[in-house]
Amino acid sequence: MRRGHRSWLVMLALVASWLAPGPMSAQDTPIRGGTLVVAIPSDPGHLNPAITTSGATHTAAELLYNGLLGRDERGNPVPELAESWQIEQGGAVYRFRLQPGVKWHDGTPFGSADVKFSFDEVLLKFHARTKASMEGPLAGIETPDDRTVVFRFKQPYAPLLFQLDATEAPIVAKHIYLGTDPQTNPANLNPVGTGPFKFVSYKKGAEIRLAKNPGYFKKNLPYLDEVVMRIIPDAATQVLALENGEVDFLWAVPGPQQARLHADPRFKLAQTAYNPGGSNCIMTVSFNLDRPVLKEPRLRRALAHATDRQQFLTQVLFGEGKVATAPISSEIPWAHAAGLPMPRLDRAEAERLLDAAGWKKEGDGPRVARGIAGVSDGTKLAIDFVHFPTFSKYGELIRQQWGAVGVAVTLKPLEPAAFAPAIFKDRNFDTNVISYCNGPDPEIGVRRMYHSSQISPAPFTNAAAFRNAQVDALFDEAARTVDRDKRSKLYRQIQEVAVQQLPYFWLVETLTTRAWQARCADFKSWVGLFAEAASCKR
Amino acid sequence: MSTRYLLKRLAQALPAVGAILVLTFFLVHLAPGDPSVALGGEHGDPGYYALIRAKFGLDRPLSMQLLIYARNVLGGDLGTSFVHGRPVVHVIAERLPATLLLMSTALVVSTFVGVSHGTIAAWHARRPTDLLLRSVALAGQAAPSFWLAQGAILTLAIGTGLFPVQGMTDARRVSTGLAYVADVARHLVLPALVLAVGELALTTRLVRAALIEALGTDYVRTARAKGLPELTVTRHALRNTMLPIVTLIGSRVGMLCAGAVLVESVFAWPGVGHLLLASVLARDYPMLLGLFLLVSVSVVLANLLTDLACGWLDPRLRYE
Repeated sequence: MRRGHRSWLVMLALVASWLAPGPMSAQDTPIRGGTLVVAIPSDPGHLNPAITTSGATHTAAELLYNGLLGRDERGNPVPELAESWQIEQGGAVYRFRLQPGVKWHDGTPFGSADVKFSFDEVLLKFHARTKASMEGPLAGIETPDDRTVVFRFKQPYAPLLFQLDATEAPIVAKHIYLGTDPQTNPANLNPVGTGPFKFVSYKKGAEIRLAKNPGYFKKNLPYLDEVVMRIIPDAATQVLALENGEVDFLWAVPGPQQARLHADPRFKLAQTAYNPGGSNCIMTVSFNLDRPVLKEPRLRRALAHATDRQQFLTQVLFGEGKVATAPISSEIPWAHAAGLPMPRLDRAEAERLLDAAGWKKEGDGPRVARGIAGVSDGTKLAIDFVHFPTFSKYGELIRQQWGAVGVAVTLKPLEPAAFAPAIFKDRNFDTNVISYCNGPDPEIGVRRMYHSSQISPAPFTNAAAFRNAQVDALFDEAARTVDRDKRSKLYRQIQEVAVQQLPYFWLVETLTTRAWQARCADFKSWVGLFAEAASCKR
Repeated sequence: MSTRYLLKRLAQALPAVGAILVLTFFLVHLAPGDPSVALGGEHGDPGYYALIRAKFGLDRPLSMQLLIYARNVLGGDLGTSFVHGRPVVHVIAERLPATLLLMSTALVVSTFVGVSHGTIAAWHARRPTDLLLRSVALAGQAAPSFWLAQGAILTLAIGTGLFPVQGMTDARRVSTGLAYVADVARHLVLPALVLAVGELALTTRLVRAALIEALGTDYVRTARAKGLPELTVTRHALRNTMLPIVTLIGSRVGMLCAGAVLVESVFAWPGVGHLLLASVLARDYPMLLGLFLLVSVSVVLANLLTDLACGWLDPRLRYE
């Protein structure tokens, strides 16, 4: 092992030991009162999380709302607006009993009609993930009485309990949105929710102020009097504002600054795979299977063997994450398939596979085609690699690592707004890197990458254009299978096929580092209601 | 200067503003990218994005979109922001005061300090003071503003604790009246200083060069021979060097707008520069066009004001 590499690993181990996951520091006796200032990176534009999956809106607004269910630290569903639930007819019917006495921030009583309205008129029309996953399978929502909601599906539907939190399905007020266009309703800027905090003011480009909801249905919560979401676009400025005491909580700390903050006893840090814009994300290389050169499985396997994934973890993420060991995130432990034969770094094997595929090394330049059907002799092995500008370091490493086995890589940075049409609509790429977020259930964030029905212009679907009838059938069966053990086996089979065929190559699972003032505690890093039970010493 | 001249100048500016608008319309729409993803978020199905495109008229031919936009602008309607869901004019109006405050403070500081430095440098031409001031000016001009901004935060905010790192007001305290003014002033110091430093250098160098030349002219020699104090002599000379300086300052409004984009982002100053950057990333076409229109009109007006100021400074100038 080279000395440089070793020192990286030592630093990584140190950072990992600081950031070992665990509860975000408990306060013995929570203190009531006080203001929590939270840095958010962008102006959300509006505060209705039911009409968008935009991370900016969800980060700023989820404290104002609730879902039917929440999630505990392990990702299991827990009561929220629904106090209990029953699964009937093998998973085709879900019956929820709502909490008694819940009121909207304006004092109007909350009831089952609000839930039905939220799904029928808002979520299933405008919340991209909920619409994409539930619109087809859902037969209808019934409200037999004011405290009961029944979801009926056309066939058993397994993931429902994992897509009912404030991120996936925030419940909005029927009396506010009825008969209006939910996208232009003035309440999007003056929101009325059921959440632990009420809306106070929204100064565009500057801050959003929320105040304690004294009538919150969870007893004794929240502790804080006020939460201020301060818009600070520059990540370095956010850290400096934390150090200067102007801000109390950061959603994300850039890698290079983590060691400095950790060394300072005034701050606490913790890592999480959850983010309001998407959770359980894996940085993934897509191979465009519509391109003749990349259709060759030996070439894809060779590129995987040429990739040193540890370098991405140390040099790009500064230890914020882990090398991916399966196509599904290890943060969804029941669906993650451990022990799969993922291609390891082996440049000799990569060169052997390239030679075998007809890509020969001649001189110092890129390899050239010799005797490959459909490729004229002498064609150089040159491919492009499309990435967000923020992922340029991934591109640089890929160019260097694949270049070492004779593959010429041209980097093509594209902003997010240009990236999606180039990849999914025009399909104008050889390879790319995407942060595919698996979400709380594989049905939400994994199916879209592999199911052939997901080869579409819609952004962040099946970029590889992977078509496999067996995989399609397994996904369809998994969606209908409520028993978790059985689902787990189905997802394992899917991952075995994926690792064998390599339509993608999974680099690193990413984590985000939160930081906050040590005088504050009890943040829930795994849900959007992160400050519901938080408190700060004065 | 006649009202007729003013009207003539404004009428001349209209085609320029119109041309800028058409050009930026095509530039903005022809740049790769699609606002529907930024608007709807990821993971939607094609029908969802089609709905968004239809809602905002993005599915119509570009020429049709331009015609509709031009008609609306002539009627005083700059459209509705895709991201904010509200009229562009309202969103800009909320942010404009912050940017105007930042830019005008930076302009006043850079002008005042630049003229003072330039004058002192001219008095001590080719001596150590001159060299020092010129070097400082050159360093200020050469340093990238993001570096200056970070340096200012580390030394003046974190280092001394006198100034806040970000924002326009204190997030923990909502103040009113004089306390609010003081709070904003405290937050204004660093961003205005960073924005001013780049401009300061140009003004210093121009004033120095112009004043050295003016102080060597015959009328200055005569004034000195008559025994006028040096300060009075300089005042006379300075007035004669003001025309190029005022022209320079007027022409820097566009550059100040560009500088504001970066400085506002680093200091989280809630102005239109910060809004412009976010709108580019989200491909918020109506907002971008509204902001470009604002900048182009500002530059035209700044040029007009420069001409007016020159006429006031030099009564020999006649505008017809």
